Amino acid sequence: MGFVKYIIRRGIYMIPLIIGISIVSFLVMYAAGDPIQIATAGNPGITEAQRDFLRHYYGLDTPIPAQYVRWLTHFLQGDFGQSLYGGRPVNEIISFYLFETLKLQLISIFLAFFISIPAGIYSALKQRSAADYTISGISIAGVSLPVFWFGIVLIIVLSYHMGLLPSAGAYGSPKLWPVFGISDPTLDALAHLVMPVTVLTLASLAYNVRLLRAGMLEVLRQDYVMAARASGISERKVLYKYSLKNAITPLITLLGLSIGASLAGAPLTETVFSWPGLGRAYVNAVSKLDFPLIMGTTMIVAIMILVANIITDLSYAWIDPRIHID
Amino acid sequence: MGMLTLRRNRKNETGNSASLSGKDTDSETKRRGASQWAVAWRRFKKHKSGLFGLGMIVVLLIVAIFNTVIAPYPARPAPDALKPLYDGEAAQAPSWKHPFGTTRMGLDVFSEIVHGSVYTIYVAVAATLITTVLTVAVGITAGYFGRYIDELLMRITEIFLVFPSLLLILVFARIFQLGNAEPFYSFLGINIPIGLTMIILIVSIFAWAGNARVVRGEVLRLKETEFIQAEKSLGASSWWIMLKHVFPNVLPQIIVLATLSMASAVLVEAAVSFLGFGDPNTYTWGRLMEESYSDMSTTWWSEVFPGLAVFLTVLAFNLFGDGIADALNPRLRE
Repeated sequence: MGFVKYIIRRGIYMIPLIIGISIVSFLVMYAAGDPIQIATAGNPGITEAQRDFLRHYYGLDTPIPAQYVRWLTHFLQGDFGQSLYGGRPVNEIISFYLFETLKLQLISIFLAFFISIPAGIYSALKQRSAADYTISGISIAGVSLPVFWFGIVLIIVLSYHMGLLPSAGAYGSPKLWPVFGISDPTLDALAHLVMPVTVLTLASLAYNVRLLRAGMLEVLRQDYVMAARASGISERKVLYKYSLKNAITPLITLLGLSIGASLAGAPLTETVFSWPGLGRAYVNAVSKLDFPLIMGTTMIVAIMILVANIITDLSYAWIDPRIHID
Repeated sequence: MGMLTLRRNRKNETGNSASLSGKDTDSETKRRGASQWAVAWRRFKKHKSGLFGLGMIVVLLIVAIFNTVIAPYPARPAPDALKPLYDGEAAQAPSWKHPFGTTRMGLDVFSEIVHGSVYTIYVAVAATLITTVLTVAVGITAGYFGRYIDELLMRITEIFLVFPSLLLILVFARIFQLGNAEPFYSFLGINIPIGLTMIILIVSIFAWAGNARVVRGEVLRLKETEFIQAEKSLGASSWWIMLKHVFPNVLPQIIVLATLSMASAVLVEAAVSFLGFGDPNTYTWGRLMEESYSDMSTTWWSEVFPGLAVFLTVLAFNLFGDGIADALNPRLRE
């Protein structure tokens, strides 16, 4: 019962937050200038009358509060408006890119999560050993690595010089398959995934390992770990049941946050690998100041993150019985 | 004052002054010889990777200060001068004459990186100053006053923390790119790039939240310590306690966070410029990468070396930050 109440209360808290985020985003974007002026700047043949028509068509000729109310009523009905470029519905654009983004992100997030657990534990157990220095060294390098640069280096080496993997997109034309020795669509999709997944995994792996290593070092020093060891409980059980459960909470937080944020895509990685995802679409929308698309993406991401936060908080109670939900 | 005497006795017993307050140690420096900072420096000198990071930062500083001497070729004369600058030497692979090769436009990549280092230092220092001021203001205020001030500030912090900041940074950067009229602002004979300064401001505004939470936690812990309680019971004002006792005690933590902020500021600025949202009038390393992006299948060196410079700089700040974290925070060191 407390569980349901908790979710309802957190859900109610979300409403003012979401409205706040939407008002701020709306104001920021409309402070940027006249979107029609920007959109048509490259078109010398356009007349002022045609611009006025476009402003009227997109409802940009009414006062800003009226525009916001209009946007909000449509948003609440699930209509995110139309792109200023080509007039496609924003819902359609988002759902088009969503699958590719989530595929890329979720694979990387879970790979990073599950690789970091043994690496972090091992590093903490063998503190100051050669293996610990190697793991710590790789993770600090990973934290410092500009993901876009790493992606570019991979493309230059693996695609341009060795011709091993396709450099761009999520799928290749069947005509190109023989170049990479690919025979079916699944292999083709996998081949396109290798480099972007490597880049994204390494980027989050580095943070995870550092976090888990620090947590494990702290926990392994506790008396109850020593007591468990002294009472002859198997080392495996001591590590995974007694220690890891206590050290993993910050990692779970990070996992929750990254799943929430994953909808935003990885603007840098997706751009470098020309991945047909939301992150790259967002970068393009921002550079063209395609307001409805930016607003739509921002709101979807914000809501997803807030929901992921609630789920993360709930998962604490599941991992650690000392935490009560109320 | 009874509390202070007590603390001194305990300190002399353990002989460890590093975790004590700056104020206490200042008054005792003469008598005991080693201040908190001297102890930290002694510990830092043993930290190999931290020293290595410091060494790389020193090299970067030297390169930035003497950029006109070190770079074999002058900086670009005018923004967006698209004509080949060094005719007949375009798109050359790395050689003795051009250690990092030349771009398709005929620019010496090594010289471009050397000139760009000045902007890197500017980004690191300016962004960290702004971030740190925000961190300290929010962190100490929230932690010290608690209650509804804490509640309000922490909710705001959460929004900043939770939202993928790169998305908003890009929007703001794009808006300033459009509104940017004057490329430079002359101050004391130095040309300060306005566009880049705006990027620094935006990056800083989205960088303080995590740090502020750490500082707040530290202040909450300090608030319960005996010497702050004693000071309070003696009737000291909140501002006095914050300035004289809380701040010096969270300073080590703030220094560590500031060093790590330098790393992330350099990284984020490079990313923003690489995506094409940077200052069109300054040739930062990220901007060089953006310029050469379409040439990476041919003149790969013009793309790889500026990125390598970003990587090594960020690595240097991170290694240095880790080193001083270990040196200043013996509690974290097992």
